[in-house]
Amino acid sequence: MSRLTLAIPSKGRLMEQTTDMFARAGLIVRKVGHARGYRGEIDGLPEVDVAYVSSSEIADALKAGSIHLGITGEDLIRENISDAETRIGFVHKLGFGFADVVVAVPDCWIDVATVADLEEIAMPFRRRHGRWPRVATKYMNLTRRFFASKGFGDYRIVESAGATEGAPAAGTAELIVDITTTGETLRANGLRVLDDGVILKSEANLFASNMAAWTPELRSLCDGIGKRLGGAPRTPDRG
Amino acid sequence: MAAETTRDFEALEAQAQTLMSVFTKAGYDAVAPAVIQPADVFLDVIGESLRARTYVFTDPDGAELCLRPDLTVPTCRLHLARHADPTTPARYCYRGAAFRFQPQGADASHPREFRQAGIERFGDIEREAAEADVIAIVIKAMEKVGLKDWSLRLGDLGLFSSILDVAGISPLWKKRLDDAFLKPLAFRETLKAFATGSSVTRLSVPDALLSSLDGADPTASEAAVAAYLEEKSIELIGTRPLSDITEHLIGIRESREEKPLDAAAAALIGRYVGISGPARTAGAKIAELVNGAPSGSRAALEMYDRRLALLANAGIDLDRVTFSAEFGRTLAYYSGLVFEVRAKTLGPQSPLATGGRYDGLMRAAGADVDVSAVGAAIHTERLLAAMQGASS
Repeated sequence: MSRLTLAIPSKGRLMEQTTDMFARAGLIVRKVGHARGYRGEIDGLPEVDVAYVSSSEIADALKAGSIHLGITGEDLIRENISDAETRIGFVHKLGFGFADVVVAVPDCWIDVATVADLEEIAMPFRRRHGRWPRVATKYMNLTRRFFASKGFGDYRIVESAGATEGAPAAGTAELIVDITTTGETLRANGLRVLDDGVILKSEANLFASNMAAWTPELRSLCDGIGKRLGGAPRTPDRG
Repeated sequence: MAAETTRDFEALEAQAQTLMSVFTKAGYDAVAPAVIQPADVFLDVIGESLRARTYVFTDPDGAELCLRPDLTVPTCRLHLARHADPTTPARYCYRGAAFRFQPQGADASHPREFRQAGIERFGDIEREAAEADVIAIVIKAMEKVGLKDWSLRLGDLGLFSSILDVAGISPLWKKRLDDAFLKPLAFRETLKAFATGSSVTRLSVPDALLSSLDGADPTASEAAVAAYLEEKSIELIGTRPLSDITEHLIGIRESREEKPLDAAAAALIGRYVGISGPARTAGAKIAELVNGAPSGSRAALEMYDRRLALLANAGIDLDRVTFSAEFGRTLAYYSGLVFEVRAKTLGPQSPLATGGRYDGLMRAAGADVDVSAVGAAIHTERLLAAMQGASS
């Protein structure tokens, strides 16, 4: 029988929560060899190879089909894969890793509550400052798709690798698109989410790659893992 | 997509040489702007929506560059590099590859790499004459390579402004409608809101604050907004100053207080936007609107008639020309006349040539003043396809 590759986040809360969740479902994940290694296995499922990979690389590997299953946030899937509906199967929502991708503006912009208001200030802003308002984000594709769906195009994206919430106060952007869980970090940085500014309500999912090589055996193995995680037995569309 | 055949390559080369010879004989200097361009100019002018259609990349030094999505902006930059005074009159022509990502997938009519041949002219005082010249030369060049079955579609973004003057609406509504005209969806909403007197904004700012603001006294108004922020413990952060926020709030207040657009003016604007058809018939409709309007200015109508007369003088058969008031609203950087040349064989989604006036572009490319600019580009693969489709 061919083997099934499952990628699990390699560090942080997402790794811990994944390991806990799998344990509760009776799937004991162990690292193989060195404790700092990046390979593992599941007790009683010898056909499964576990790979510890960073969350964003899991999205890329699912997209390419170099792994069968992977656990990562829906935000990374939607951001990195433009045709996610075709390439990726949503096997099971895991109930952790909650994060909303939102548009946030300085709270002092009391004249701006919606994307339509942004559109209204964009042209005067350009007249005054000689450029469109800048949006700091690492979610370039989600941002572009969201604003395009609202018919708003008068802005510039500034790619941000980290500490995006600080960009408006630092003067490197006027507003941001970022993830938030409680909104605490946004508030601490003097930012507020627009009334219609929630782009995506994301959580961690077990995803299946429709691009990977699937056999009937691997599919039933995937079903089994999905079932034990308490999810509906959804499987990839393509064999 | 199938690879280009030797025959197509040779046909395109021959066609491009003919087009260029018509351009250069008409007094346009041949230039070859750079293929790799700074992304800034394009993204700043056209906005982020362009990024989705452009091959943008970062070079090893971290500079954001792009493969040119057209040759107009590169020609503007070339002009600025050649002339210290950007208003220096100049005429350029070019042929070369342009690159556009095709989100629906590339096909024969929408390739991601295609060859344009075009002309641009800068610094003309006689604006309508320059426009008619560009249209006439482009059509003449395409006829020279064998195109017979063409039609010309005109639009004019400046005409809308003149119609607003004629409608006799307040300066505030004029400014808002002018800004909104380029965004068809927002425009319809704005027009509706203005006609019904309903407010477009849904802000949590208290009415007491709004009504205390006064456009004639910006200092006191800013102080009132600052006091409100202080009271709410909201810190003023970022690059957008208090004056911008206050000014926008004053605008919101004024538009709330402004009388609704009167029904006659709203109807006039609505009827203008709906005009579409043969150029002479459309002219008659515009005349009807202008003559029946409260304010008597005939400037818009005169401009329209002058343009048609100039085109006829340049040898353009007006029976082949149509006008559409809405045309040009979704095009990126045009500021006045817009036009496209179509062939029956290719359909409305694949114009053979597009062009127009873009007076603001030179400033975006780095000039310190607006420069009169008008130009057009031919999509050469489509031109060839249109003629092959007609002969087969």
